[in-house]
Amino acid sequence: MAARCLAAARDMIPAVSRTAARRFHFATYGKHNKNGAKVSNAISTQYPVVDHEFDAVVVGAGGAGLRAAFGLSEAGFNTACVTKLFPTRSHTVAAQGGINAALGNMESDDWRWHFYDTVKGSDWLGDQDAIHYMTEQAPAAVIELENYGMPFSRTEAGKIYQRAFGGQSLQYGKGGQAHRCCCVADRTGHSLLHTLYGRSLHYDTSYFVEYFALDLLMENGECKGVIALCMEDGSIHRFRANNTVLATGGYGRTYFSCTSAHTSTGDGCAMVTRAGLSNQDLEFVQFHPTGIYGAGCLITEGCRGEGGILINGEGERFMERYAPVAKDLASRDVVSRSMTIEIREGRGCGPEKDHVYLQLHHLPPAQLAMRLPGISETAMIFAGVDVTKEPIPVLPTVHYNMGGVPTNYRGQAINHVNGKDVVVPGLYACGEAASASVHGANRLGANSLLDLVVFGRACALTIAEVAKPGEALSPIDPNAGEESVANLDHLRFADGSTRTSELRLNMQKCMQSHAAVFRTGPVLKEGCEKLSELYDSLSDIKTFDRGIVWNSDLIETLELQNLMLCALQTINGAEARKESRGAHAREDFKVRIDEYDFAKPLQGQEKKTFDEHWRKHTLSSMDPKTGKVTLNYRPVIDTTLDAEDCATVPPAIRSY
Amino acid sequence: MSILRNAWCLTRESVSRAIFGAYPLRSYRGDTSDDMTDIKQIPLPPWEERTNEPLNTKRARLLYESRKRGMLENCILLSFFAKKYLNEMTEKQLSLYDKLINQPTNDWDIYYWMTETKPTPPEFDNEVMTLLKEFTKNRNMEHRAGQPALDYLFEDKK
Repeated sequence: MAARCLAAARDMIPAVSRTAARRFHFATYGKHNKNGAKVSNAISTQYPVVDHEFDAVVVGAGGAGLRAAFGLSEAGFNTACVTKLFPTRSHTVAAQGGINAALGNMESDDWRWHFYDTVKGSDWLGDQDAIHYMTEQAPAAVIELENYGMPFSRTEAGKIYQRAFGGQSLQYGKGGQAHRCCCVADRTGHSLLHTLYGRSLHYDTSYFVEYFALDLLMENGECKGVIALCMEDGSIHRFRANNTVLATGGYGRTYFSCTSAHTSTGDGCAMVTRAGLSNQDLEFVQFHPTGIYGAGCLITEGCRGEGGILINGEGERFMERYAPVAKDLASRDVVSRSMTIEIREGRGCGPEKDHVYLQLHHLPPAQLAMRLPGISETAMIFAGVDVTKEPIPVLPTVHYNMGGVPTNYRGQAINHVNGKDVVVPGLYACGEAASASVHGANRLGANSLLDLVVFGRACALTIAEVAKPGEALSPIDPNAGEESVANLDHLRFADGSTRTSELRLNMQKCMQSHAAVFRTGPVLKEGCEKLSELYDSLSDIKTFDRGIVWNSDLIETLELQNLMLCALQTINGAEARKESRGAHAREDFKVRIDEYDFAKPLQGQEKKTFDEHWRKHTLSSMDPKTGKVTLNYRPVIDTTLDAEDCATVPPAIRSY
Repeated sequence: MSILRNAWCLTRESVSRAIFGAYPLRSYRGDTSDDMTDIKQIPLPPWEERTNEPLNTKRARLLYESRKRGMLENCILLSFFAKKYLNEMTEKQLSLYDKLINQPTNDWDIYYWMTETKPTPPEFDNEVMTLLKEFTKNRNMEHRAGQPALDYLFEDKK
C-alpha cells in the first residue's frame, strides 16, 4: 500500500522536476501541494525559476535545522529543508564535546545551577529568559534524544555518562566542578545528526540537498520564503512559505585562523542583512583556546575535562595564576586571554614563542584511547606530535560566533523599533546563526549542541502555535528575488582585477590582525578602514568559471559576499564597544562598564543611563551598496520566565 | 482530501515502520559497554551512484564535495587531494572517489581511514583510498593551511 502511495505521489510531481540528475531524498515534494511546483518566467528567461509552496522552509540541515525540520514535519507541516551540504556533512558533525544537561547522574545536580553558570558565562549579556528556557529544557531534551536512539556513553551503572566541562559548577559556583556534559564518545555531533536525520525521514520532510540559499523573499517587512540556486543544474528555486527558519551556522571563515570548516560562511546572517534587518552582537567572537598551531584544527575542551593541562615556555602550568579555582577548566575566554597574555609577555613556546603547549602525556594512555580517541590522530597529522610523549602546540583560534540573527526565547526573529522588540512575521532563527541570546558575550563549552536542539525545537513549537498546516500563502510579487538572480549573474561573468581567493585571504588576514583576541582602539579603527576598502573591491571581483552547474568558484564568491557583510559588522561593532566583556577584550578599556559598578556596593551609586553603559546588545545593519554599517542597541532581558521558579541572577564580577 | 490526509497520518507510523524497519525505543539499559555492538542504528537511505552524469560534471561536483566537508581536517586534506588528483582520474577512479567521500555518513570515519587510525572497510579499500592514505602521510611535509585557490583549474586556459 505504501509503495502504491509513493508511486502515486511520484506521478503528481510535475515533469519539470523529473530531470535525471536531480534527486531528493524522500521528496514527497508536490504530495501535499495541490498545484505542484511551477516554472515561472517572471524573473528572467535566462534563469528559469521553479516555484515551490510549502508550509515551512528551513535553511540549513545541521543540528538546529534538522531538529526544526523534524519538529515541523512531526507537527504536520509540509516542510522543505534547503541545504548546501548533505545533512550529515553539516558542521555539527565536527562537534566532539557533548551536550550539557543537569541530569544529576554523576552527582546531585539542579538546572538552576546550570542556569547560573550560563548567565555568568555570558558575562551578563545573555537574555535570562532564553537561558532559563534552555537550561530548564535541557534534561528533557537529552532524554528525548536518547529516546530517539542516540547512543550516549554510559557509566557502569547504565546511566548516561557525564563529564566535566569548563565553566560548569555546582551550588551556584560554590560547590566545585559539575559533571553535566553528556556525550557519545567523542562523536556527539555526528550521532546527533545521524539520529535527527534518520528520524526526520519517517516524516514528510522534503530535502533539497546541495541547493545554495541566496536571499530571503521579503515583502512589506514580512518574510515569505527563500530563493536558492540548485547547484546540480543551475536552476533557480523560490521556496514560498509562511514560516522560514534560518539555521545556517556561523561565520568563522572571516578569520584566517579558525577551527570551522570552510562551509561556515555566515550565509543566514548576510541574508538577514540584505533584507534590511539587523544582526546582534556580532563582535563577540569566541576564540577556542586550543586550535592546532598552523592548521587551526580544534583540540576539544574535553581534553582538559579529562585532565590535560596548559604549559607555557617555562614549563609552568600558568592557568593556576589566572583562575586559581577552575585552573585549566576556566571558561574559554578566560583561558584564551590568559594564553595570549603569556605569549605577549614572552613566555610562549616554540622557536618564535608564539604559541603554548597542551600536555596530555601524563594521562593514562588507556583513558586517552577510550575517551578521546580523535585527539592523537589530529595531533599527529597536522602537528606531527605523539600525544603520549610530547605536548601539542596550540593557539587561540576562532571557534564560535555568539552573535547572529536576534530572536526571542521562542525562536522568532525580532527587530527593535522605537525602543521595543517587534517580531518579524514569518522569520525564525536557531542555532549558531541566531542570538537568542543564551551565550551573551561568551559561550560555555557543550552549551552549543544544547542550544541547537532546544531552539530548533522551540522554532518548530512556536510555528505550530501561531500557524496551521495548509494555510494559504499570500501572493508574492512575480519578480520577487530578481535582485538575487541579477547578483548571481553579475558574479558569474565578473571580470574585474581581484580574484576571489585573493580578496578572501586579504579579508581574513585583516580580521586576524585587527579584530582577534586582544583588541585596541587604533588597531580596530585601522581595521575598519582597511576592510571598507576591501569591501569596495568586491565590485571589481574576478571569477573564472562561467558555467552554472557545480560552479565552486561562483559559490565561493557568493560566500565571500556573505563573509564580507559579517566581517564589516563584526569589526565595526568591536570598534564601537568601548569596554571588555566576555570574549570581547579591549586593551584600552579593560573593564566591563555596566549600569552600576558591581565591584563595589550598590548603595550610593548612581545608575548610568542606557547610553552611558555597555550592558546592552549591539544591533548592526548595513547598506550593502555602500558598505556603511549602522549600529543600534537594545537592552538585555534580565527577567526570567518565572521569577519564583528561577530567580534572576543579578550582575556581579565574573571570576573563576 | 483532509480525511485522506488524516488517515495517512494515522497509518504513517505503522507504514513507515514497515518500510524503514523498527527504530529502537530506548530507556536506561543497565550494564552496557561503549562498543555499541548491540545497538541497532537508525537506518539512513543507502547512497546511490548517479547514472548518466557527464564526466566533466562529475569532476566539478566532486570538486565542490571535496572542498565542502563537515570539519576542517577533511576540508584541508580532501581539497588538496582534489587539486592534485581529480583532473587526472579515470572514470573508474572518479566513481570510487565519489563513493568514498559520499557514502559514509560520518566525515570522521573517512578521516580515520585516511590517517590509518582505523582500518578501511573492504568496500572502500581500493586504489583511490591507497592514494588518499599516501597523500595524507604528507611525506613531502607540505604546509597545508587553508584551501588551494581555484585558480589552478583555469591556469591552462590562459
